[in-house]
Amino acid sequence: MTHLLQKVAAGLLLAGSLSGPAMAQDGMTIGLLVPTSGSEATYGQDMANAAELAVEEINAAGGILGQQVSTIVGDDACDPQQSVNAASKLASSGVVGVVGGYCSGATLPTLKIFADANIPFVITAANSTQLIPANSGNAFMINSTGNDQVAKALEFFNSKNINTLAIVDQGDAYSQDLANLTKQRWEESGKTVATTETVNKGEQDYSAVVTAIRSANPDAVFWTAYYADGGLLIRQLRQAGYQGLIAVGDGSNSPELFNIAGSAAEGVIAFSNPTAEFLPNAKSFVDSYTAKFGNAPGPYAPLTYDGTKLLAAAIEEAGSTDAAAIVEALKKANFTDGLAGDISFTEENTLARSNFIVLEGKGGAWALAE
Amino acid sequence: MALTDIVLQQLVNGLVLGSFYALVALGYTMVFGVVKLLNFAHGEVYMVGGFAGFIVLSLVSGTLGSGWSGVAVSMVLAMIGVGFLGVLIQKIAYQPMLSAPRLSILITALAVSLVLQNAVLGLTGGRYVPFGADLGFGGVNLGNLFISYNQFILVGTAGVLMLSLELFISRTQYGRAMRAVSIDKDMCRLMGIDVNRVIAVTFFLGSGLAAAAGTMAGAYYGSLWYFMGFLIGLKAFTAAVIGGIGSIPGAMLGGLILGLLESFGTQIPGIGSAWKDVFSFSILILVLVFKPTGLLGRSEQERM
Repeated sequence: MTHLLQKVAAGLLLAGSLSGPAMAQDGMTIGLLVPTSGSEATYGQDMANAAELAVEEINAAGGILGQQVSTIVGDDACDPQQSVNAASKLASSGVVGVVGGYCSGATLPTLKIFADANIPFVITAANSTQLIPANSGNAFMINSTGNDQVAKALEFFNSKNINTLAIVDQGDAYSQDLANLTKQRWEESGKTVATTETVNKGEQDYSAVVTAIRSANPDAVFWTAYYADGGLLIRQLRQAGYQGLIAVGDGSNSPELFNIAGSAAEGVIAFSNPTAEFLPNAKSFVDSYTAKFGNAPGPYAPLTYDGTKLLAAAIEEAGSTDAAAIVEALKKANFTDGLAGDISFTEENTLARSNFIVLEGKGGAWALAE
Repeated sequence: MALTDIVLQQLVNGLVLGSFYALVALGYTMVFGVVKLLNFAHGEVYMVGGFAGFIVLSLVSGTLGSGWSGVAVSMVLAMIGVGFLGVLIQKIAYQPMLSAPRLSILITALAVSLVLQNAVLGLTGGRYVPFGADLGFGGVNLGNLFISYNQFILVGTAGVLMLSLELFISRTQYGRAMRAVSIDKDMCRLMGIDVNRVIAVTFFLGSGLAAAAGTMAGAYYGSLWYFMGFLIGLKAFTAAVIGGIGSIPGAMLGGLILGLLESFGTQIPGIGSAWKDVFSFSILILVLVFKPTGLLGRSEQERM
């Protein structure tokens, strides 16, 4: 019985590996590495939809190098083990390139697989700085990393003539990293950190920290953690009469912040990844996405759409599906048709500019800041 | 801000925070005194109390408005409703376990806590619910020191509630029965005291006080969440232990001390907000080392 099963399995594998190259001959296949199951499935499906929309438009305009393009989805389930299987599946189906990568942890082990298989990989959402050293040159990150958020934040504070800053985190790895990096860069630029504070997650009363901040009297308060406790802190800061600028990191750019902070969230600044509703170029994308899939595009849809178009443009530029030529074209890319802004890469294959956008609380919702 | 301003401001902050801790700590200490149970579901009762107050407020705000009068009515009705919920929990979950080993009833309390938490999680979808009270931002400015009217009302209400409880326990027949039951349950039965009724009254009062704290927290901090009872439950338990668990004035004192410790711990150079809990819990350890019964606790160790 076991032997029979093994034979059947071997036969299926053989059939699978044969059908891969066969498909590639009458068209071109782009692989999508996204979580379409598991806890992050809605984001993954959203990214797959955005890529599909891009491919549809590419085909309508005559395809790539005269060939029609199709997609194949590898479901990484936001799980490092399953992502290895998904990446191997994509690598063995003869894809010309791969677009996607949502969870950084699940994207990390696939870098080696795509490098060994010599497949160009455009990473459209995952943005941990850990991905940078693991990249052997064939992967390109088009979402900004945490470093870029700090750069954007500092640029914004400087534009508002902020000189002293209070930084408040929540004691977890994410918010502490952002807080430490901000403190370091801010002090390097010759400015003063008035105070750094840490609050406990789930505590309702932040009056002691609020008093500490008021006694340090900074020009601005930067909250680096999530919206839940951030909302309470903002409310209590304003109730206690703090009148300086309040800014929050990308963990807090949720509409829920307005539920918690109420009117105190008016004028609060948030740094955010480029989501479709705030991108001026994305209007027609949002319309056609909504018409095709019945819901509005999610947070990483624009970047995945851009990533797919970028890969197509690079193949067109390379003039062939040769991986080395495509990677070379991506390295030199100067892609200006993006919804989320222009794409070109650093030496490390990361996005050359920060794609973080600045939002402001207005009338109980986020709006693009002036 | 000058140093004296900071000290006074943190004193006010500590009093407000301590009032919440004290109200919740009272429930722990009363239940422990009467049935020797560490009711770890008590933090969730506080959370449910907040939601009960929210529901009442959304019903009465049409006629009474959502200012302090609306909140006061919501608080009283939430106290009564959640008081009965406490009695119900006691009847369903704890009554059958009273003669079981201590550990079983402790685990039951943890289970009750999970049930309440997940029930509210299911009903709210894990979202933050804006409380909807409109209390205004007014207050008294003394130089750099700012005390809002809400803080006065809050500390005052907590004080009145605690004073009434103290009077109830020291002056009424039920209060005397509660004290008697906490000393010797079997003897009380022999003397014709309806022990189960006294236990029910204890749960009613403890849960009612937690509901008062929950409603006031919702109104004061502005939003409710299914997980909001967890941390304050732990802190209130700590407060009860500092004051001496089983002692009612001890719970009040412990709550205020813990609130003040946390507020000042944030401001002490070299400690700061990241270490304030280490500071508070070190004090707890010191109290337990040098006075294991807590500050106002009686030594009757053989009963624990």
